[in-house]
Amino acid sequence: MPGSTDPLTQALAFRGVTAGYKGRTVLHDVSFGIEEGEFVALIGPNGSGKSTLLKTATGLLRPQEGRVEVFGREVSSLRPRDRASLIGVVPQKLESPMAFTVSEIVMIGRSVRGRWDGPDSKDYDSAEKAMIYTNVLDLKDRLFNQLSAGEQQRTALAMAMAQEPRIIMLDESIAHLDINHSQEVLRILMNINREQKITVLLVSHDLNLAAQIAGRLMLIDHGRLVRNGSPSEVMQEELLGRVYGCDLRVRQDPYSGNPVVSGVLDSFISRSSVRKRLHVICGGGSGIELFRRLSIEGFEVTTGVLNRLDSDAEAARALGIPCALEQPFSAVGDEALRQAERMVGEADGVVVGLVPFGPGNLVNLRLAELALKSGKPVWMPDGIASRDYTPESQAASIAGHLREAGAEAWTGIQELTALLKRAWPESQQHR
Amino acid sequence: MPVKGAPLNRRRALLLVVAVPLLLGFSLLLGPSGIGLPDTANVSGRAILDLRLGRFFMGMLVGAALSTSGTVFQAILRNPLAEPYVLGVSGGAGLGAALSILVGGAWLGAAGLPLTAFLFAVLTLLAVYGIANQGGIPSVYSLILSGVIVSAICSSVIMFLVSTADIDGMHTVVWWMLGNLQPSSWSEQFVSLFFIVSSILGLWLFAPALNVLTLGRDMAHYQGVNAGLVTLMTLLLSTLLAATAVSMGGMIGFVGLIVPHVMRALFGPDHRWLVPASALGGGTFLVLCDALARTIMAPIEIPVGVVTALAGGPFFLIVLRKKMKYAWID
Repeated sequence: MPGSTDPLTQALAFRGVTAGYKGRTVLHDVSFGIEEGEFVALIGPNGSGKSTLLKTATGLLRPQEGRVEVFGREVSSLRPRDRASLIGVVPQKLESPMAFTVSEIVMIGRSVRGRWDGPDSKDYDSAEKAMIYTNVLDLKDRLFNQLSAGEQQRTALAMAMAQEPRIIMLDESIAHLDINHSQEVLRILMNINREQKITVLLVSHDLNLAAQIAGRLMLIDHGRLVRNGSPSEVMQEELLGRVYGCDLRVRQDPYSGNPVVSGVLDSFISRSSVRKRLHVICGGGSGIELFRRLSIEGFEVTTGVLNRLDSDAEAARALGIPCALEQPFSAVGDEALRQAERMVGEADGVVVGLVPFGPGNLVNLRLAELALKSGKPVWMPDGIASRDYTPESQAASIAGHLREAGAEAWTGIQELTALLKRAWPESQQHR
Repeated sequence: MPVKGAPLNRRRALLLVVAVPLLLGFSLLLGPSGIGLPDTANVSGRAILDLRLGRFFMGMLVGAALSTSGTVFQAILRNPLAEPYVLGVSGGAGLGAALSILVGGAWLGAAGLPLTAFLFAVLTLLAVYGIANQGGIPSVYSLILSGVIVSAICSSVIMFLVSTADIDGMHTVVWWMLGNLQPSSWSEQFVSLFFIVSSILGLWLFAPALNVLTLGRDMAHYQGVNAGLVTLMTLLLSTLLAATAVSMGGMIGFVGLIVPHVMRALFGPDHRWLVPASALGGGTFLVLCDALARTIMAPIEIPVGVVTALAGGPFFLIVLRKKMKYAWID
């Protein structure tokens, strides 16, 4: 029970911890402290080292460098029983292949106290208290395996509580629960934290959930602690956007005042009324990723000329992208070409994909020429010469002309989207 | 109202207490010389009773060892199909025992046979674990798969040894391999008794830790169990059990599979009850199988391994199909 150690010692302290697995270091020089009674959430993208940090904190993994202290004592030097009476862990998912009942599972949490001859009345009291707190007392004689996911997680929490630990660590334990179940588990956790003064370290990839409940957030990325502070200090658009590698918006929840993060999918929808249109010249599968990214970035996309059954043609059909089509395995004919020319005429720009050119589809490159002539921007990838299968390298020479006439070069799809954004800043993206 | 603890079903426990002595007594009535208690008034009657008591003693020990070993393997590997045979441990022990019989293990006295068997069983377990371990904790499936492979290799080597042995050695090894509970020398029986009883008691001490280990090694760590040490110790003890059983009774399969499942279905998964129940149940089961083996085709005696395999094979398939709904849930 709390109070036996110096009140100034921290519940959990990492001091310059570097840790990982054979030949792979995951955590780099991580330092932080958690005071007794705090509720801290550890957040970060998948693969950032959250689980490794937890394994190191519980002594399952020895740090390669640095020290991990739990209530002032180095975790790897603790006797297993002492460790278990300080730290309770709720795993991602508790699995019991054997048919234990709920009360048996919770009583296993009392095996920490380590007597073989079976539990005494104090053990029963403690298990019962844990089961009341987590609202599983009614389930005590049910088989653990037959419970719902939420009930199983509450049982796992009861098991950890029955250890009477001073800090409880949860490893994505609520990630796969429905919202009603996760809210219930969170409520239980807040109760435990407030009433019993048990320190809680919650590992979560759900930022909003973490910000909703924790007093402090620790954000890790690539095995390094990049921010450690209050939810409003950590929930910063620019910071989260950088760590998670995508566009994010943070606003205040009108009910709770908590910062709430969301992706920018909603802003695509809001600006979807009239959008810039791009015509994509592709083929043989070079267009699929372009279609996807350009659509996500909010552009209307047309494409052609493609042969029927070409994988890009199939993708365009599936995505509902208008496409000028020619018969399979035929050179581009007049009718299809005229249709494509109309599309270019209606587009705001042309993007050439990483498509190989042969005599059959060389005319597609003429579409780009047409766009440039009518003053529309063209983005063309580098290295057309390496994909040129036309006699006398006609494609490469046309590409050279296009470049002179002002076609912009791109190499990767990231660069292309950046170029597109520069060409049409967000304010002008609407026509 | 206190929470119910280890919910031992008292009526079922009573069943074990009543049924086991009855069944054991019944087994003494069966034998190729006729059904019924032999007449102890004459010499041949006493000799027959002596023989039956000797078989009874062997059956109890070997059955208890195989069944307890199966119980523990199933708990550590968290798999209902784990068993000394499936994991190749028995195969390795058999190879060691065959070598000891043919090449001679007399240098160790009465403990020579079981110790050679144990040594080879441990080596086999290491080999199986090594093959299955491709970085990280090996999956149960790769463990069983490599167990089957190593087992096959061991039995080929035994076949080779048998085929090159002289006629006496060949007879001894084949007869031993078929599985029989003919009592060996007193000193060997005494050594085996010591190994088996102390291993079972040792495993019983680990019962609470085994309960936690069924939840996985990480959970056991979080619950204050030294998971690595407990896994190693219990693996070694149950390997010693299997090896001693093999060196005493030869290749008797499936006892370690059937009995733990039945006991789990009767008494639940708590190892504090399960370990002694499996030991008692395994002994009783094998004594009964042996009584059947020597009676049903009298005066011809069927190897007891044949009886257990005939009962166990179909049972294995049922477990595989149903994963024993009551005791294990997938």
